[in-house]
Amino acid sequence: MKKLLAAVLLAAISFGFVASETVITVKGSDTMVNMAQVWAARYMEKHPDVKIQVTGGGSGTGISALISGSTDICNASRPMKASEREKLKMRFNSTGVEIKAALDGLSIYLNKANPVKELTLEQIKQIYTGKVTNWKQVGGNDSKIIVYGRENSSGTYTYLKDNVLSGEDYTSNMQSLPGTAAVVNAVAKDKNAIGYGGAAYAKDIKDALVKKDNSSEGYAPTADNIKSGKYPITRYLYMYVKSRPAGALKEYIDWILGQEGQKIVSESGYFPIK
Amino acid sequence: MKKLLFFAVLTLLSVKPVLYAQEADTLNAKIEELKSALNGLTETYLETKTTVDALKKIKLSGYIQAQFQSAESDAAASYAGGNFSTGVHNRMLVRRGRIKINYDNDLTQYVLQLDATEKSVGIKDAYVSVKEPWLRTFGLTAGVFDRPFGFEISYSSSSRETPERSRLFQTLFPGERDLGFKLEMNAPDGPLSFLNFKGGVFAGNGINVETDNNKDIIGRIGFQLPFYDINMAIDGGVSGYFGNVTMASGKSLYTVDSPEAATTSTGVKDVERKYIGADLQLYYDLPVLGGFSLRGEYIVGKQPGTSSASGSYTAAPTADIYLRNFSGYYINYIQNLGDSWQFVLKYDVYDPNTDVSGDEIGANPAAKLSAGDLKYSTLGLGLVYYYDANVKFTFYYDSVKNETSSKLTGYTDDLKDNVFTFRVQYKF
Repeated sequence: MKKLLAAVLLAAISFGFVASETVITVKGSDTMVNMAQVWAARYMEKHPDVKIQVTGGGSGTGISALISGSTDICNASRPMKASEREKLKMRFNSTGVEIKAALDGLSIYLNKANPVKELTLEQIKQIYTGKVTNWKQVGGNDSKIIVYGRENSSGTYTYLKDNVLSGEDYTSNMQSLPGTAAVVNAVAKDKNAIGYGGAAYAKDIKDALVKKDNSSEGYAPTADNIKSGKYPITRYLYMYVKSRPAGALKEYIDWILGQEGQKIVSESGYFPIK
Repeated sequence: MKKLLFFAVLTLLSVKPVLYAQEADTLNAKIEELKSALNGLTETYLETKTTVDALKKIKLSGYIQAQFQSAESDAAASYAGGNFSTGVHNRMLVRRGRIKINYDNDLTQYVLQLDATEKSVGIKDAYVSVKEPWLRTFGLTAGVFDRPFGFEISYSSSSRETPERSRLFQTLFPGERDLGFKLEMNAPDGPLSFLNFKGGVFAGNGINVETDNNKDIIGRIGFQLPFYDINMAIDGGVSGYFGNVTMASGKSLYTVDSPEAATTSTGVKDVERKYIGADLQLYYDLPVLGGFSLRGEYIVGKQPGTSSASGSYTAAPTADIYLRNFSGYYINYIQNLGDSWQFVLKYDVYDPNTDVSGDEIGANPAAKLSAGDLKYSTLGLGLVYYYDANVKFTFYYDSVKNETSSKLTGYTDDLKDNVFTFRVQYKF
């Protein structure tokens, strides 16, 4: 009996400790995927012994992968929920480590031909919850508002829902698209469209000036306004790891938070945290 | 010739605009055609999306645990997946084969879970749950589901690091579930957001047909204190079980709380079943090594049982009832070793009768004490290997010690009932 036990345990331990190459997997936020790919490419140039695999899929997908142990780093454009931390706790006996990697302004995209220039947070909420359905109701043309958004696995979807819609459900008329680039593209082609996404993606469209309320000034998602906190929809972009990083993983994260990594943050259209 | 050339140029100049106009018409027609096709596609997409959104609410999950076990002796009595058969000291079995269907409509849920093994197919969960839409704080669950007591019951067998729950829980809560109604409250954001409550009214027979008019009340008040900045969390709670077991007509109640003589009562209608418990879990992330958790639970109370066992009834009692004061606890340490390995150490104790011990058991027939009054402790040691997101291997050894009594035949020495378990689990 004891011999059998010893043999099985020895076999098990040898099976698990087979040497492996240094591979770091990164999964999650589509908002961050381009930046994460640049981080990985530049880092691998300088560290050929390290292989970094980056994929998107959305913050929710990344967090699920972190919980199941199928990724080393999860990129997320929203903070992890308490329920997600609970799941991580059950599998890894750890609440996870949160690393703020960059700062971002969540832009409200409008078509360039749309006469509406600014929106209050309340108006954005009403449009996205389906209470306002015509541009005329917010000072625009008498046209139906075509609402574009992200799928529910997206951190940007959850961030806007939690922080602007006060947790209310999105209108059932919202057309969910698989990535921020798709939202930008849809808004650029339709003068009655509205969308949302990271400030870095705003091309061929215009950003609405966002006002906290009717009496406050509208601000564009510029670097200064986001850094100063004047722009009302500002958020951190996060990296999550299961437990305190060590070895190659720690070195990579330290590099991202260092001068070179944060320079890439700026190049990608986001804002360094330091 | 000049006239001819002039005529030809004139003809060409007049024809080209006509051609341009024709091309424009063709293009416009093409655009309209594409627009119609696009509208058609959009319509189809929206229809498909509606169907996909509805299908997304159906969540299918499950797991299978296949295992090999080896016991120290033939026909060993065991809590590591049930007793070994006569003449058998090693065996292969599907310990659990679960399939769970959940229709999640956000505020309302339908859940049905079946367990299919080589032994039988049975229901594990069958319940409806409804959450109020205003605060999303209060919820009602009705059907067959986990009893809201302590920590170990609700900790899924697919996630649990040890192959089985402790002897204490297997004895008091066989099958973990019961038929009933439960209210749940998770405090909304604010100073009390760390608190939660779940409690309800249950039939008291586990996953079995209701047999009497008595209903049991079970509840737990819990707390969750996360300290994310230092990667630590402390959770815990206090639980209570207040119920009764209905006596069979003409049978006696023996209160076995003395080594001299049991107290006999006749004409008793209901026998009290009462537990009080407390549980605590600490989680902390150790640098380099990984996270660990230290979990403990203690339960004390009164348990009605038979002459030879203290297990909870799963059907109406037909014989005399023996009432015992019991206590039990477990301490479980789990250490993650990197991403794939976990080291597990567990110690659990169950004393079904805290009023007697050792040679007192079996010494005096008037005391009506038996093997059902012996205390057991189990030291478990194991390793868990996560092969990928779905598959894990468990290697676990249970070292079981029983209280001995020189006055009780068959229990004068420690029984040969240690068990080694090798398990492979697939979960999706």
